Amino acid sequence: MTVAQSATKAIDAVEERPARHGLVRYAAAKAGGALLSIAMVIVATFFLFRLLPGDPVRALAQGRNMTPEQLDLERRRLGLDRSLPEQFVHFVNQTVQFDLGTSYEYKRPVLDLIGERIGSTLLLTGTALVMAVSLGIWQGARAGWKPGSRFDRFSTAISLVLWSVPTFWLGLLLLMVFAAGIGPIPGLFPTRGIESVDAPDGFAYVLDVAKHMVLPCLTMVAVVYAQYLLVMRSSVLDEVGQDYVTTARAKGLRDDEIRRKHAVPNALLPTVTLVFMRIGFIVGGAVTVEAIFSWPGLGQLFYEAIRVPDFTLMQGTFLLITVSVILMNTLADVVYHVLDPRVRSA
Amino acid sequence: MGQALAGLAAFGMLAAGGVVGGALPAAQAADPATKVIRVGTTQAVDSMNPFLAVRLVTGSIHRWMYGFLTVPDSKTLQPSADLAESWTTSPDGLTWTFKIRAAKWSDGQPITAADAAWTFTKIMTDDGAKTGNGPAVENFASVTANGQDLTIKLKTPQASMLDNPVPILPKHVWEKVGDIAKYEADAYPAVTSGPYVAVEHKKDQYVKLQANPNYWRGRPKIDELQVIFYDNPAAAIVGLKKGDIDLIGRLSPPDFEALKGDENIVQWNTQGRRATYLQINHGATTSDDKPIGDGHPALKDQRVRQALHYAIDKQKLVDEVQNGLAVPADGSIVPPMYKDFFWQADGDQKVSYDVARANKILDDAGYKKGADGIRIMPDGSRKLQFRFSIHTDTPIEDKLAEYLTGWLKELGITLTTKRLDSSKFTEETGTTALFDIAISGWSVNPDPEEVLATHLCSRRPTASGEGGGTESFYCDPQYEQLYLQQLKELDRSKRADLIKQMEQRLYTDAPVIALYYPNDLEGYRKDRIASITPIPEEKGLLYGGSGYWPFYTIEAVSADGADGSAEDGGSNTGVIVGVAAGVVVLAAAGFFVARRRKGVADERE
Repeated sequence: MTVAQSATKAIDAVEERPARHGLVRYAAAKAGGALLSIAMVIVATFFLFRLLPGDPVRALAQGRNMTPEQLDLERRRLGLDRSLPEQFVHFVNQTVQFDLGTSYEYKRPVLDLIGERIGSTLLLTGTALVMAVSLGIWQGARAGWKPGSRFDRFSTAISLVLWSVPTFWLGLLLLMVFAAGIGPIPGLFPTRGIESVDAPDGFAYVLDVAKHMVLPCLTMVAVVYAQYLLVMRSSVLDEVGQDYVTTARAKGLRDDEIRRKHAVPNALLPTVTLVFMRIGFIVGGAVTVEAIFSWPGLGQLFYEAIRVPDFTLMQGTFLLITVSVILMNTLADVVYHVLDPRVRSA
Repeated sequence: MGQALAGLAAFGMLAAGGVVGGALPAAQAADPATKVIRVGTTQAVDSMNPFLAVRLVTGSIHRWMYGFLTVPDSKTLQPSADLAESWTTSPDGLTWTFKIRAAKWSDGQPITAADAAWTFTKIMTDDGAKTGNGPAVENFASVTANGQDLTIKLKTPQASMLDNPVPILPKHVWEKVGDIAKYEADAYPAVTSGPYVAVEHKKDQYVKLQANPNYWRGRPKIDELQVIFYDNPAAAIVGLKKGDIDLIGRLSPPDFEALKGDENIVQWNTQGRRATYLQINHGATTSDDKPIGDGHPALKDQRVRQALHYAIDKQKLVDEVQNGLAVPADGSIVPPMYKDFFWQADGDQKVSYDVARANKILDDAGYKKGADGIRIMPDGSRKLQFRFSIHTDTPIEDKLAEYLTGWLKELGITLTTKRLDSSKFTEETGTTALFDIAISGWSVNPDPEEVLATHLCSRRPTASGEGGGTESFYCDPQYEQLYLQQLKELDRSKRADLIKQMEQRLYTDAPVIALYYPNDLEGYRKDRIASITPIPEEKGLLYGGSGYWPFYTIEAVSADGADGSAEDGGSNTGVIVGVAAGVVVLAAAGFFVARRRKGVADERE
């Protein structure tokens, strides 16, 4: 098939079912780009982590008596005795078969280690994301609609203060006040973990987990919702002066209605992109929040991996994060394409 | 608006969790008569498989689960009978025969010498099983079993045989395991021979142990021991104060002081098992005696190292850096807790804080001060400017560096602090020798052989840069000689004398300078723990000590007394506040729903 033919065919197709065909092509192009990015990430991952200082075998042997022979043995076991190119080929081979290798420190498949912890991280960061986005969009829309109003000044100021507070500090403060209890405030919430050691069954278990989630979720939401609020506020602000808003007003629609039904849907677009990008990052979890509340998620695993350094575990977790960010970005592009006809025609 | 509602709904659910949670305080075990003790730890369990586990927390848990050949005596810390009831040694010290106790595994099977022989042989023959305790069997030539008799033949004599750290595992359970290196030991209840049986392990969360009814010394006095993981010490302190855990060990001085003033908490402050010292690059070499690294040449001179020693006010360090919770070191790498092996300098040998004397030593040795007040090498080649390597993010080491810098300035020596992350630190101070002075320390076992060995010639890195675990790059004929002698000496007091001479050698030659022995700092709730016996019984450790004594002898406050008024009061207030919070959230949600309805109604008009 020549280029001309295919072009004609494409045009025909566009004429028949213009929107969908354009979308498929657009999505395919984006997916191709994403695959290329992932391939580059795989290569970069391998070499990036080899640049880190420290010898994993030495680090694993730290504080223990090990003879050079035993260190050698350990090195052979980890495949570190092979040349860098050999290690690289082995790594790429494994990775394309969805095998992330065996962790140096835990001596178990990286995929298993991630699998064991990803659920609790997604639960925490996912819930916090939904709450932060909801809160941010809601407050941002109202604040942007009436810039300079008391609500605007108040909500924006609070969100910015929380945004600038160090997560660790805020988390510990909440822990001390609401988990331990101070003065008249009782220790309402647990001090650690995702569930009680003697956790009940059934619905009581759901409540037990919910109770454990309150403080970590609150910390995460408080620290991040400002970004949604600000993006939403500024895009609503852009819509306020638009002609269609004036028209709607002229039609005699209620102010609240104009905001909700006309301005906000238009203003949502940049926020959607932001949200999708953040979804990509939620697998990365919140290392700090997990550390404060002893949440058994990926954060602890990442931290340990870097400390050792546990190359395979770092590679695995890093790949997981970057690939999910790339996929979500691609999805964001596609969704944007669907949501906003202006992008399509351009 | 819909999303806002979703958010509120989520909040409402969480708040409801708070309400219900408040009504069920601490989610105690179903049976109130069950005596449970909860130990907090800031280290997560690495593997429940003793062949693979290396962390201290896991080592402790395995000590509570499995018998060993011997266990340190609760009073003297000398080796005493555990699974081996008695033992004999051949005159050449090469053949050891242990009589294994006729006791039962927790599943009722008899314990025999075959179990011990299988465990040791597994480590000797399977590379995958060497991770946890490989070095412990390195000197074993063969291990054989005959009924209850276990015979171990050694390659060379080894006095520390009775401090063997390998937990004996049940052959009838473990021989069925295929690849040891991949086995997680997650079949519960575990089959054990010690005071406790592990019944559950949730990764990064907790381990639950129950009393072993078949334990040969008798069942422990509590029913359940829980080991609960906290990701950071500050949260663990909050957990102890609140009563989510009953005991936590290995506290730093600031965390320990945060427990002050709580009437329900006992602050446990005794001598510790650790020594903190400076490692001096005294001319590091590899195992084939080639120089390695970039240490300052002045530090090769014993007189310079000696002058440094005189310039350090150890009492001041204890007071200011450790908040007074340590003992200044007048000895070397073995802390005073181990009475039998501890050596202390006295008389002329003793180095006390004396700046004038330090300056005189340097003057006499020809290190003249330059125009800028900084001393120069006798040949004029270099100024005395040293680096001090410490870890990043360790406030205690930062403070220590400040004091050292000040003191060395009085000698006309410049000290600059170099902060390194832990893996880089290990590499530069243990393999590549890219340091002048570095902070160091070691937790010592009842038998000090392990820490003594870290200063042997053979521990230096090889020419190809393979690390061998040296703590000082030390290689001293006198020290080597003494090490070999103590290895062969089976008479405990004679061996102790040799070990003390080794400590003395380290003290005077100063490849390392001991600063202080940090105290063992722990905290426990006296409204939950009725009694606990430390190891050693006089002023010893609770968590992190050797053997299982503290957690075998631990007694809980009787259940009816413990779950009394305090917790009830808390839960009532909890319910009230929880209900109030729930009501507020629901009211807010209702308000928004109502507004939304109103909005819809408006549109319909």
